[in-house]
Amino acid sequence: MSETIGQISVTVTVNGRRRTVTCEPRKLLSDVLREDLNLTGTHVGCEHGACGACTVLLDGAAVRSCLLFAVQLDGSDITTVEGIANDDGSLNDVQQAMQDNHGLQCGFCTPGVVVSLTAFLRDNPSPTDDQIREAISGNLCRCTGYHGIVNAARQACGRPEGAR
Amino acid sequence: MGASVKPTRFQYHAPTTVGDVVGLLAEHADEAKVLAGGQSLVPMMSLRLATFEHVVDLNRVVGLDTIERTNGHVRIGATVRQARAEHDPMVASEVPLVAKALPHIGHFQIRNRGTVGGSIAHADAASELPATALALDATIEAAGPAGTRQIAACDFFEGPSQTALADDEILTAVRFPVWGVGSGFGVAEIARRHGDFAICGAVAGVQLDGDRVVKAAVALFGVGPTPIRASSAEQAFVAAGAGADLTAIGREAAAPLTPSSDLHASGDYRKQVAAVVVRRALTDAIKEARS
Amino acid sequence: MATPTSAHTTVGRYIGQSVKRREDPRLLTGHGRYVDDDKPAGTMHVAFVRSNVARGTITHLDVSAARALPGVEAVYTGDDLNPTIQQMWASMTGPPIEMGGQSPYPPANVLAPGDVRYVGDPIAIVIAESRYIAEDAADLVEVEIDALPAVLGMRAAAASSELVHRETESNVSAAMPTPEVPELDALFDNAAHLITRTFGGARASNVPMEPRGLIVHSDRYRGEMFIRAATQSVHEMKSFAARLIGIPESHIRVVADDVGGGFGQKMAVMREEAAVIAAAHKYGRAPVKWIEDRRENLISSNQARSEEGTLTFAIDGEGHILGCRAEFIEEIGAYPPVSSPTAALAIGVMTGPYKIPVLLPGCSAVYTNTVGKSAYRGPWALETIFREQMMDICARELGIDPIEFRRINLIQPDDLPYTTATQMVLDHITPKETLDQATEMIDVGGFRAEQAAAKADGRVLGLGVATYVEPSAIAFGVFNSDPAVITMDLSGKVQVRLGTGSHGHSIETTIAQVVATHLGCDIDDVAIIQGDTATAPLGPGTGGSRTAVAAGGAAQTASIQLKDKLLQIAAHLMEASADDLEVENSVVSVRGTPQAAVHFSQLAMTAHMAPDLLPPGVGPGLEVVARYRPPSEFTWSNAAHACTVELDPETGVVRFLRYVVSEDCGQMINPMVVEGQIAGGVAQGIGGVLFENLAYDDHGNPLATTFLDYLLPSAPEMPDFEYGHVESMSATLGGYKGMGEGGAIVSPPAVANAINDALAQLGVPPLTQFPFDPNTIVAAINAAR
Repeated sequence: MSETIGQISVTVTVNGRRRTVTCEPRKLLSDVLREDLNLTGTHVGCEHGACGACTVLLDGAAVRSCLLFAVQLDGSDITTVEGIANDDGSLNDVQQAMQDNHGLQCGFCTPGVVVSLTAFLRDNPSPTDDQIREAISGNLCRCTGYHGIVNAARQACGRPEGAR
Repeated sequence: MGASVKPTRFQYHAPTTVGDVVGLLAEHADEAKVLAGGQSLVPMMSLRLATFEHVVDLNRVVGLDTIERTNGHVRIGATVRQARAEHDPMVASEVPLVAKALPHIGHFQIRNRGTVGGSIAHADAASELPATALALDATIEAAGPAGTRQIAACDFFEGPSQTALADDEILTAVRFPVWGVGSGFGVAEIARRHGDFAICGAVAGVQLDGDRVVKAAVALFGVGPTPIRASSAEQAFVAAGAGADLTAIGREAAAPLTPSSDLHASGDYRKQVAAVVVRRALTDAIKEARS
Repeated sequence: MATPTSAHTTVGRYIGQSVKRREDPRLLTGHGRYVDDDKPAGTMHVAFVRSNVARGTITHLDVSAARALPGVEAVYTGDDLNPTIQQMWASMTGPPIEMGGQSPYPPANVLAPGDVRYVGDPIAIVIAESRYIAEDAADLVEVEIDALPAVLGMRAAAASSELVHRETESNVSAAMPTPEVPELDALFDNAAHLITRTFGGARASNVPMEPRGLIVHSDRYRGEMFIRAATQSVHEMKSFAARLIGIPESHIRVVADDVGGGFGQKMAVMREEAAVIAAAHKYGRAPVKWIEDRRENLISSNQARSEEGTLTFAIDGEGHILGCRAEFIEEIGAYPPVSSPTAALAIGVMTGPYKIPVLLPGCSAVYTNTVGKSAYRGPWALETIFREQMMDICARELGIDPIEFRRINLIQPDDLPYTTATQMVLDHITPKETLDQATEMIDVGGFRAEQAAAKADGRVLGLGVATYVEPSAIAFGVFNSDPAVITMDLSGKVQVRLGTGSHGHSIETTIAQVVATHLGCDIDDVAIIQGDTATAPLGPGTGGSRTAVAAGGAAQTASIQLKDKLLQIAAHLMEASADDLEVENSVVSVRGTPQAAVHFSQLAMTAHMAPDLLPPGVGPGLEVVARYRPPSEFTWSNAAHACTVELDPETGVVRFLRYVVSEDCGQMINPMVVEGQIAGGVAQGIGGVLFENLAYDDHGNPLATTFLDYLLPSAPEMPDFEYGHVESMSATLGGYKGMGEGGAIVSPPAVANAINDALAQLGVPPLTQFPFDPNTIVAAINAAR
């Protein structure tokens, strides 16, 4: 890709589907997902990379979509919260554990939590409590006090005290 | 004043060679900015604290993402993600201080995208990697229109987020020296919350031969406009040996500091706690050196 | 660590069960519908131009370059919009004094009226094709302001003749002076102990994870205004909007689907929202959307907890508190949604769960050139926050254990009902039982031993306890009652329409639990509808810890009425006596003869389609409209919190060891939901003590304008919670009590007391001004050396 003025065409795979978007270089991935691709599950809570509500998977790694320009991502593979559930539509382990343990109330931070925890537990199947809390330290929640989220993570990695 | 969260317009460039990057920076001078991890740059642009006409994306440049063991150093390319370095076995075994510093940076989502090189080039005085580079006497490799050059870490950090890099130069790699047998390292920092920028922190490395201190390095962050090497404290520690009174060494490190105050802490607090974090980092380093 | 819950009561099939939430599947998979998720065709986007000066006169304002930018539809200033404002006041606080009401309000305008009164004050509103373009245009607006010295600091502002609002005579918007009662002077003067302390909160903000936002479409040809908003009360916004622009309420529809938290910030309509409504009405050509960004939310939404209180306790030789003088002062910024002091609410509850026979209270609310103060989870909390710290301080002065000091003064079960010094009648509360449970769970004796052993090791631990009563479910003014409308369809399933506004409160699940239990059907047969003025009966929305009591009571009333009608119809159809009938799983059967049964759907079809088969006197249809008014103006709940901390004396960093809550909220509908509310409230309380500080500099510039500086507690900073439950039924239908705000009210003093207990180990006198950040703690330790 060389010097261009105005809009740029970007092709990404989002939740398994190839999508092409044309946008200004300055348009953030979070806005492209929400506006151009109608995937409003990714939420914007701060737009300066602090709250984690906008977390998505980029080539499998959890990242803040508000800190990426969509034009950077041509050829990338993105998973948003809409793509986290199992193929048959059932909730994945993290999502089910979140419901079982009241890990959400208003739901606004939840997409970022679900994506972050899914990635973290995939790569760290047996974390300690401290590691769980560190893993979600970049996801701010104002409703739950993190209590239900931590219990959900415990359950999702098979620890009995997490289950209600 | 608006309360902006959307960046201003810019032209986007995604070159694939260092030469092309340098050419773009030379052509557009201070209207251009290099984008690596973006974890510091993009929020600044969104908040319109910084505006650039041209953004030069480094992430497509071939050859900047290697981690190599060469000649007594571990060389980490500019676009190596912090997360990758954090989990790399060679980094952990050869330059343990880098491996220890990395988990303190933000949160894992930040480290998945942020780069080692970017953190050092951004040179935030409260962050861990610039202090680590300073403590280890790392060498920054830079490329500009006139060619490549090596910059010693002690010459690199010039002021708050200001480095010796010219507007038309980029950091292409950082070389961290590998320490010998009998080495140990430690990181201690005080932050308001896990992952926040340090209010005050220290990185330390010691190499012991019995009780003799072969080498010692201590650098502080969050307590000045740049990371600060605690040279006189290092010398005092070498002179006193491994059984030194670390509280006194810590105070020696803090004595010359004149940290500034902000919303989170006063300069006096930072100075007082600097002595504590130096002591803690050295304690951990000595313990590891002895094991 | 496991969270033990004590045994609690269940009622029927669902009440008292931790039923999983039906809200969760959509929220967990990204299929929620928050205001920004709605993108009506042709929507235009708003950005505000805001003041960067705390106080000053606008000498130059030129929007022509902004208007000319391609993609910009309109730019309005105060001169354009302020004259269109008819009335600007909230239903929940009532009309302004100028209109014969009780409540003071700041001057009514939606954009700066030629002068600015806080940093962030909106000066102009841009409507454009995208937020990006709107922000570009905002940058092109030329503004020059002649700065004046900002009026800052509540005490200085109260005394100053420099006015925040030129329309007022003083910066004190309302005051209730402390009464002088000479007959009581002796009580104070002669007391064995007379202790006075001043306490201060740290200015904070609610910070819901979803900032404010709304979409307004005003169509003059259809004679309609449609508003989708992040709001806690659709009816409040509807009536506010109608008054604001002078169109009938019946022409306005307000909808709130999913709302990402509010904690009080989305209860009253605030100035920017009013500006968007006025601008959209003037513009008229397309929907107009404003989504507040986080910086705006931190600079210009609200402040709270910006309060000081001076308490004087008169105590006898045996540790009984004989009387209390309390003087509260609060900073309400420039444009609060209402200007009355929240301390006026606090005073009524000031004596808490204690027998304090005399209270001499005073309060005042003061304007300053900062962001306006609005409600934040337990707006009256300052009474508990300051009083519970005072209890510990007095105990130490007297040389009594702080828990023992509380026991000496606590309202005992035999004292109930107890009439307080402010004529509040407290009943159905259990301060003793919750204090006993909390202290037992935290194991005070065991902790004191641990604390002593740690001290020998150079480690500093502390224990803090706090207890309180909560005036939940206020039932006066527009809050006097809650409605429920239940309709049964031909399939025998029901829709329940509520006046609530859930924004994380699990109402779709909990009220369905109530209805399904009392109607006798499966919970999946109950649909809850709220948050749309076209379908929701008039209610105050959700706030003030009222849902279980008021909406629960209304839902229960309506369910029972509907069930009665169903039983009458069934009795008639089966030629049985209604007394012989029982209901289970939507089937009405004759007790003892299960084959004589009829399903709700048959009854529904009869009622809707075959009215001639109905019993005499029973009309067709199955709709019940009910309202529930709680038996008293407050339904009291109570709790006791106990926590332990470790304090690092070298750095001042505090970490939690344990956090214990003993909660009595009467009959719990869903224990899991109750515990979640507690945890979230405590997190906000911890934030208010240790982390959150919406600070301003000496010129009125806000210093915490991003999440890098306004620090919310994150997961590593928070403790695990341990819950104990006490259930004493209230006098309300269902025995429910509200508790949603309580966690945020009583946790700050529990945490403060724990830190001060730790500091006491070092001989450091107690801190009394939040935040207790590491710097403050180290400075106190240094000073004590």
